Amino acid sequence: MVSDPIVGIWHPPASSRAVAASLHVGEEGIVQARDVDGKPLSATPGLKIEVSDRIGGIVRRLTFLDGSVFETPDNDGVDKALKALKRRPGVVHELERFRPRLALFVIAVVALSFAIYRYAVPLLVEAAILLTPPVVPKLLSQSVMISLDQTLLEPTKLSQQDQAAIAAEFGRLAEIAPRGAAGYVLNFRGGGAVGPNAFALPDGTLVLTDELVALAGSDREAVLGVLAHEIGHVEREHALRRIYRAAGVAGLIMMIGGDIGSGAQDVLVQGAALMSLSYSRDQERDADRYAVQLMHAAGRDPLAIARFFDLLATKLGDSGYADSFLSTHPPTPERIEDTRRYAEEVAAGK
Amino acid sequence: MNDTASAETRPAPSMRREPFTFTGTGREYFGIWIVNVLLTILTLGIYSAWAKVRRNRYFYGNTRLAGGSFDYHARPVRILIGRLIVLVVLLVYNAAVQFVPLVGGLIGVAFLFAVPWFVMRGLRFSARMTSYRNVRFDFSGGYWGAFLAYLLGGMLTWGSLGLLAPIASQWAWNYTLGNLRYGDRPISCDPRLEKLYGQLIMPAAVLIVGVMALLAAAAGVFILASGLELDFDQQLSSDVGLFGILTAVYTAFLPFFLLYVLVGMLYRAGTRNIAFNETVIDGRHLLASRISRWRFAWIAISNFFATVFTLGLARPWAAVRMARYLATATVLYSAGSLDDYLSTVKDTTGVVGAEYMDVEGLDFGF
Repeated sequence: MVSDPIVGIWHPPASSRAVAASLHVGEEGIVQARDVDGKPLSATPGLKIEVSDRIGGIVRRLTFLDGSVFETPDNDGVDKALKALKRRPGVVHELERFRPRLALFVIAVVALSFAIYRYAVPLLVEAAILLTPPVVPKLLSQSVMISLDQTLLEPTKLSQQDQAAIAAEFGRLAEIAPRGAAGYVLNFRGGGAVGPNAFALPDGTLVLTDELVALAGSDREAVLGVLAHEIGHVEREHALRRIYRAAGVAGLIMMIGGDIGSGAQDVLVQGAALMSLSYSRDQERDADRYAVQLMHAAGRDPLAIARFFDLLATKLGDSGYADSFLSTHPPTPERIEDTRRYAEEVAAGK
Repeated sequence: MNDTASAETRPAPSMRREPFTFTGTGREYFGIWIVNVLLTILTLGIYSAWAKVRRNRYFYGNTRLAGGSFDYHARPVRILIGRLIVLVVLLVYNAAVQFVPLVGGLIGVAFLFAVPWFVMRGLRFSARMTSYRNVRFDFSGGYWGAFLAYLLGGMLTWGSLGLLAPIASQWAWNYTLGNLRYGDRPISCDPRLEKLYGQLIMPAAVLIVGVMALLAAAAGVFILASGLELDFDQQLSSDVGLFGILTAVYTAFLPFFLLYVLVGMLYRAGTRNIAFNETVIDGRHLLASRISRWRFAWIAISNFFATVFTLGLARPWAAVRMARYLATATVLYSAGSLDDYLSTVKDTTGVVGAEYMDVEGLDFGF
């Protein structure tokens, strides 16, 4: 089995010197490069010679054991020689050839992109959440609490009785939630720049500002409704979900970036940012519904949270707080209406 | 640099003119591209490392000069490891920003100072993985050069509203091209400041005229819109309104953004000509670039819209079109044989830096 010589160029090891040469596969499976006079330049057993992958029509590179290189544009000749040596030529190049089959690939890409965004990303997020050890949200939450206390928040000015009353009612609410009362720590703080606000950290640490309590006035149920909403964020692990999702989408865009060019990549990044806005709005809606269910299950007024949104919209609509509960929880008419309708359904259904 | 030095960078009549050519075709690259994308998606991104190697090998291998071609030698597994490291860093950074804005800010600052290191390693990796005629390139730039070229240069450009951009360009070209080595021989690149400033004039004029035209158009639209007496308050209060506002903001800023992109491209194409024309390889071969700035901007912008409006399908054609144009506008004047170069590089450097460059869209090729 001696194949036809393949014509190309031979470079000595690590050198740019180019020698016109030809490649021969001998009887014992030895691959040899020879110059135009037939003088051998280098030889290596066929199974040990390193052959670069075939890509389009670019020159093929065969590296001998001594480091010298034979280059040839004769890709078919090299593939034939590889077959003679019982070595498999690459499969990927076969797929890449311009054939009608490529149209199927296009359809597959479109369908798979959609499927990944719709199903695989949420699935990976769930997997990541299951794999996250509890110590991660704990450490994160502790450091947030410390940095918030040092910068934005102030000590509470709420009276001991008020604190105790809210804490007791909150405890009865948290008892019903899956994590239980022990899974939550309620902190009272002066809101300072963040104003009337409440937020939850992923380990179950909740913060309630004096300003929010004052805003609700005599309507304690409304304060509990807001706390139930924050419990919803913790129970559904919204914060971790958002992070994993953002990272997953960024990762996907990064992987595909080199293939679509930097301009199209920027468009995707902007699109992803817009989608994440709508994603966090969905999370708020989810927490609202959770609050309604929890309040109902605790025998409280499920309409309280909707009432609080109304209060926010009327009292805070033109107040000076730039970064209040409003900016992260915009009480749009749709949202109030949705929550109210859901609360009425829940109240009537049970 | 004085005038005698610049006279040296003009090709002598005895030199051989060797044009770069690009031999790839959109049709051929389409197959490679769609298989890259398909396998990347099917493997949830893992194949992207192999895809990058195949893509780079296709483009480098089809870039031909004086009978030889370029090649790319990176091993996909190393690129994959680099990507995973970058992904983990991004994940940690995202989490930090989300939960601890303060610490996130500190990490951001630390990250900023790490950027020059990543850039340096990235350039070195790319150079060492690139060969021409069986000889690897190398890169000898250090941290502070990258600090000047990328951090300080960027701040200078933004802080001066572009007026000091030529200084930043001088640093950047000096760093990226001037620190490149072909085998064991140095490459020098000393673009002179006054020549770089010469490339600023036309883009600056385009910017001023463009901004005035857009402001006039915006004023016209505003007068028309206020005539319609839209009830903005009511729109604001609904969810649909939020998307409406976002759309309006994007539409209003898009023309300004496109103008900014256009001006940036006109300027950068000009500096490429200046920098290449003052690049000397091994003290004797000269590089030359003759890009038409408007033609370059037209190709880049029409490529972008073609890619977006075909949902990416025109990308192979667009990429090949740009590579072909850049190759035909580039020439090497060789002062003698290209036979006597020796490779000194072994496959050893880390790949994390190179991956960061990809993430930031800074990917630096030939």
